[in-house]
Amino acid sequence: MNKIKLIIADDHELFRKGLAELLRKHDDIKIVKSVADGIEFMQLINSPFEADIVLLDITMPNMDGFQVLKELKTLNSDIKPIVISMHNDGNYIAKCAKMGAYGYLLKNTDEAELILAIRSVNNGKKYFSAEISEKMINFMSTQSISENILSNKETEVLGLISKGLTTKEIAAKLFVSSRTIETHRANILKKLEVKNTAELIKKATKMNLV
Amino acid sequence: MHIKTLILIIINSLIALVIALLSFSSYQQFSNVLNNRILLQLNSIKTLKQNQIEHVLKSEWERFETSEVYSQNIDTTVLKLPDSIKNKSGIYDLTAYHVDKKTTIGFISNSKRGTMIKVFDYNKIKQILLERTGMGDSGESYLVGTDFRMRSQSRFYPNKTPYSILVKTKGVTNALKGINSKSIFKDYRGVDVYSVNSLIAVKNLKMVILSEIDVNEVTLPLKELKERLLGLTLAIFLLAVMLSLFLTRIISNPIKNMQKSLRIMAEGDYNQTNEFIKNSKEIKEMFDALANLKASLQGAVKFSDDIGKMNLHTNFKPKSSNDQLGKSLLAMRDKLIEFRNNEENTRILSKRMLVNGMEDERRRLSRELHDGVGPYLTSLKHYIENRVKNELKKAEMKKIVDDTISEIRLMSNALMPASIDDFGIGVTLTNFIESLKKSTTVTIEYEDLTQQENSNITNHQAINLFRISQELINNSLKHADAKNIRITLSEFDEFISLFYFDDGIGFDINTVKLGLGIINIKERVEICNGTITIHATPGNTTFEIELPIEL
Repeated sequence: MNKIKLIIADDHELFRKGLAELLRKHDDIKIVKSVADGIEFMQLINSPFEADIVLLDITMPNMDGFQVLKELKTLNSDIKPIVISMHNDGNYIAKCAKMGAYGYLLKNTDEAELILAIRSVNNGKKYFSAEISEKMINFMSTQSISENILSNKETEVLGLISKGLTTKEIAAKLFVSSRTIETHRANILKKLEVKNTAELIKKATKMNLV
Repeated sequence: MHIKTLILIIINSLIALVIALLSFSSYQQFSNVLNNRILLQLNSIKTLKQNQIEHVLKSEWERFETSEVYSQNIDTTVLKLPDSIKNKSGIYDLTAYHVDKKTTIGFISNSKRGTMIKVFDYNKIKQILLERTGMGDSGESYLVGTDFRMRSQSRFYPNKTPYSILVKTKGVTNALKGINSKSIFKDYRGVDVYSVNSLIAVKNLKMVILSEIDVNEVTLPLKELKERLLGLTLAIFLLAVMLSLFLTRIISNPIKNMQKSLRIMAEGDYNQTNEFIKNSKEIKEMFDALANLKASLQGAVKFSDDIGKMNLHTNFKPKSSNDQLGKSLLAMRDKLIEFRNNEENTRILSKRMLVNGMEDERRRLSRELHDGVGPYLTSLKHYIENRVKNELKKAEMKKIVDDTISEIRLMSNALMPASIDDFGIGVTLTNFIESLKKSTTVTIEYEDLTQQENSNITNHQAINLFRISQELINNSLKHADAKNIRITLSEFDEFISLFYFDDGIGFDINTVKLGLGIINIKERVEICNGTITIHATPGNTTFEIELPIEL
């Protein structure tokens, strides 16, 4: 049986050693190299070197985990990155997932989960624990990225304008300042290439925006 | 010298000079006319009498010559004629030969028939002489012989024999020389008289006739005139003095008032409100000019007062392009504004540096905890996993380490979330509020409308926005008794807007004592060159914070 060839990329030597000692107990996993930062790692994989998985820290000097993920994606590398980080915020997880990480682990993850993640990823699966997934989804649910011309907020403002509410009323309703609504309104006019509210509503109706 | 005195002297001396000149010339004119009139009158009287006397003598002589009566009809006891006279015929003044020196005129005719002598009746002449019409009180006409002795009775010495009176006057002397003079001479009394004279020469008789009148009598009206003129002069002069006093008061009072005003102003008091009588256009204009000056000085004083109180946005316009004071004050204000702006900039800069330093320190500490201590703790956990054989103890120890790591994470995030540097303010606030929701029952809704990619919010702004939000949420949770909190962070091309709302009890903006919370928020807005608007009413407290996008 082929051993899972593993690289550890982390700037803390103690952490690398501890992790290595932990993994050494498992016969199917072989640590082929430990590097202290992103640059060292990139040099390594650019040389004729074979590895299956990299346990990648995000916060590293010289070149951080995000950059490494980006490079790996550009290089179309076969090495599957599992991010192992101190950050437990949804945005970090979501970003790593988006950038091509196969898994996301907290540094204080229990041994069992760590091994599970490595094995799962090695089998071509992605591994995000229930806890990590929840954080990621919570974060992503707050992000309102609209594919339309208008942002979600602008669509909301447009709807209220078409209902005949004044700027002040809209501001109070949406919990923003009057100037924010004015700016939204100006941006909507600009995006829809109209000059006034009457034209705006006409065009918005035509485009089925309201 | 006071202007009053000066005007008085000038005006009055002018008036006095004019009056004196007028009086003198009119007096002179009048006295000349009078002199001429008197002399002419005297002359006509004298000529009339001379003619009458000559006529009487001539007609008597003719009668005597043609008389057939040959007689030496004379009283030889009184008249002792020398023979030499008898040899020549003619009219003679025989007074010298009279014993009593009584005026005697005699006719002597020498012909073949003998010598005829007749004493002329002097009364005829006397009557002519005594006719004093038009001669006034002191006028008289009299005759003087060639021996300068009087021949007719003097009005003034009625008891003296005329012959005893010597009349050696200029008039007589002139007349004897054949000069008919009319002028003012001294007469035989030594009194000044108007005197006209001429020589009466009939046959051998030579006498001087003089008509005279006392100067004193004639000049009496002249004297009256003089007195009247003097009185008039005095009256006019007094009137002039009074008028000029009045006039000088009209002129000098306003000048004095102005002087007083100017003196008060010179002492630095521009608020005097003295009312003045403005009795002429010029003086009114002068006071208007003074009022203008006062107003402009008051304006300048008020303006400099404002500047002194550092009210540097007070408006001030120089009175004219020559208003040096106004211009200097404006220059001073501009300089002060510049100084204040510089000071303000320095103040904000130093505050910003202070805040930045503090935030840098927090960041360093946060990173140290998160990326330094954190990994060591994970290493400890690895150690436990690897070395501790007792499963129960292992699990217990692992839990302690995990809890410690969680605590470290919380501390690190509280100090400075790493997200701020890695993801920006929008996401960081999302995380912050997500983590808060676990520990509070208050509903917090946050809307992140910042640009996900290519956000133009600077790290500096991000940190301050985060701190402001932290502070606001902290206030709402601690003091406001709010049920709902709504936060919207919008990013636009020109500005960033942080809108914060809670439905808590609100507060009085002026007396709020939420620790240093509000002050800190305001300071952070200030060092980001932003603006903040606070509305705090029960159930509806809002903070509108705007920061400019600085590219």
